[in-house]
Amino acid sequence: MPQPTSVQPAPIIRLVLVDDHRMFRSGVKAELDESMQIVGEAEDVDGAIVVVAQTRPDVVLLDVHLPGGNGNGGSDVISGSRGVKAESGEPVRFLALSVSDAAEDVIAVIRAGARGYVTKTINGNDLTSAIRRVADGDAVFSPRLAGFVLDAFGAAAGEVAVVDEELDRLSTREREVMRLIARGYQYKEVAKELFISIKTVETHVSSVLRKLQLSSRHELTAWAVGRRLL
Amino acid sequence: MPTPYEPPSTTGPGEHRPVYRLTRPVQGRYLGGVCAGLAEHLGLDVRHVRLAFVLASFAGGAGVAAYLFLWALTPQSLAGTAVPGTHDVAPRRLDNESVRNLVVGLGLLVVGGALFAQQHGVDLRLGVLIPLLTVAGGAVLAWSQLDDAERGRWLTRDLGSAGRRVGWVRPGIGIALATVGVVVLATQGRGLAGLWDVGIAAVAVLAGAALIAAPWGVRLWGDLRAEQSQRIRETERADIAAHLHDSVLQTLALIQRKADDPAEVTRLARAQERELRGWLYAGPRGSQATLASAVMEVAHEVEDLHGLPIELVITGDGPLDVSGAALVRALREALLNAVRHGAAPVSAYVEVGSEGVQAFVRDHGPGFDLDAVPQDRFGVRESILGRMSRHGGSAALRRLEQGTEVFLSLPVTATPSQPDAQPDAQPEGQPEGQPEAQPENEGTR
Repeated sequence: MPQPTSVQPAPIIRLVLVDDHRMFRSGVKAELDESMQIVGEAEDVDGAIVVVAQTRPDVVLLDVHLPGGNGNGGSDVISGSRGVKAESGEPVRFLALSVSDAAEDVIAVIRAGARGYVTKTINGNDLTSAIRRVADGDAVFSPRLAGFVLDAFGAAAGEVAVVDEELDRLSTREREVMRLIARGYQYKEVAKELFISIKTVETHVSSVLRKLQLSSRHELTAWAVGRRLL
Repeated sequence: MPTPYEPPSTTGPGEHRPVYRLTRPVQGRYLGGVCAGLAEHLGLDVRHVRLAFVLASFAGGAGVAAYLFLWALTPQSLAGTAVPGTHDVAPRRLDNESVRNLVVGLGLLVVGGALFAQQHGVDLRLGVLIPLLTVAGGAVLAWSQLDDAERGRWLTRDLGSAGRRVGWVRPGIGIALATVGVVVLATQGRGLAGLWDVGIAAVAVLAGAALIAAPWGVRLWGDLRAEQSQRIRETERADIAAHLHDSVLQTLALIQRKADDPAEVTRLARAQERELRGWLYAGPRGSQATLASAVMEVAHEVEDLHGLPIELVITGDGPLDVSGAALVRALREALLNAVRHGAAPVSAYVEVGSEGVQAFVRDHGPGFDLDAVPQDRFGVRESILGRMSRHGGSAALRRLEQGTEVFLSLPVTATPSQPDAQPDAQPEGQPEGQPEAQPENEGTR
């Protein structure tokens, strides 16, 4: 779980909370520090789409399992809010939250367009830094998600992309970054380990996120099917 | 399981052959698989059996009768067991083709027999016989759809689009044949015009009957479906209720009793969460003795012992062999050290790849110096480093800026893997003393 990179006068991040459990929403509110401003809340898919369109937040903290919509929960909110821009002009970014880290939830919501995925057991500090990272346009990978990625792209079995742009496989560097994240390293530790900058780590993670979203690799599906996920 | 009417074995003396129950195999059959099944059952060459049936068919149709009799009474084998002597035969004919063969063959035999009989002055009353045979043929065709294995599929409607088409063609033809037979029987030599009239009348009567019965039939069908799904829902509900009662409710009761012990509450909640998650998302993983399931088990055990959550990530999976089991036990020791001496968060990452197995255990504690650990402490030196090298792997310890990382590596071994997970515990248990059996034993480092 990434932590704040450094103490800097960060701009206030406008946040929308979407979760069908009121208790969880108030818990999150209590945990976040003053650099986050919660501008809206919603408890189902349709309400969330309306609130996001009205408030135009920087980041939407999105529960994966939500009532309403087409029955796909968080993914429906993301597809329903496509094209909405935050007040800063950047697209609205989504950070998915879930009680489960079952692969089907992860893969579905990431492929729908979320910039990151964390479980609800995350502590306040980590959540804050994850939100900040997503607001900056970077990706947030939990160790579990990194494991899924390594599995899905066959990287654990030694498959490596020859060209970085290849969508169906990870490059050597991306694989190293994913493996370190899976081992519980934070971004700054990954950077130190590989002798690269944190920014470069973030670039690699974002590139993996893009591959995860765009790859039509049949194994991604086959892998999920093999685990009775789709 | 020999059948009671099994005749004495015809294979050579002293030669023991497994006796198969008489079934009709799906593979290597031409028609219903009767000959192939019988050949397998009796240990004869399938070609001889087929020849015998064909020859017997000319003896007043005895072969045909016997074939039909056996076909009707012999269950179809579920698994496509190999039939001796049929390996060279095309694996499986299309059902349509078999049906065509059956119909053509039977037709020729019957026509031939009838002509033969007629020539010898026997009055077969062909006007009655032919429609009757047509009806019989239609019935056989329609009922053949309910051939053992297919019956289930047909009834549960679990058919692909292609299967669905084939599934309805046969009964369709069968019903058509039977109808034609009935009509011909009913018109008894009154020519085509009469046939037409009777046909119209029959259709009208049938349509009328269908019209009258339709609402009733539809409602009956609907009721049946509703009742079925209701029962399925109730069963599911009962299952879920039983499971929740045995797990979640019990844990909640325990948590209420131990409300003043936060560590215990956390542990209980964590264990329950894991159990529930395993139940909800149970996949193929964890169902058999694989490396991944063994690792998961060990991690959960350590979690339960110390109440500290372990962030476990596993990629890939493989069978659990002896050295794999050694790695799992070394991993357990590393995890125990991490939760005892390190600090949260504790992460474990296990990668089962083509080149071997790699495992990392990482904590955020103050770290320690291996050289400073007394020689008589077995924890790290024996249980982790020694064990890994004994099994052809390696282990290393790293101090990070924050915390310690244990790295275990096991290359792919050329030796065939043994699915037995246990043998490692016995020979190794003695020299290591009891640190593994007593997790409370602090300071095994």
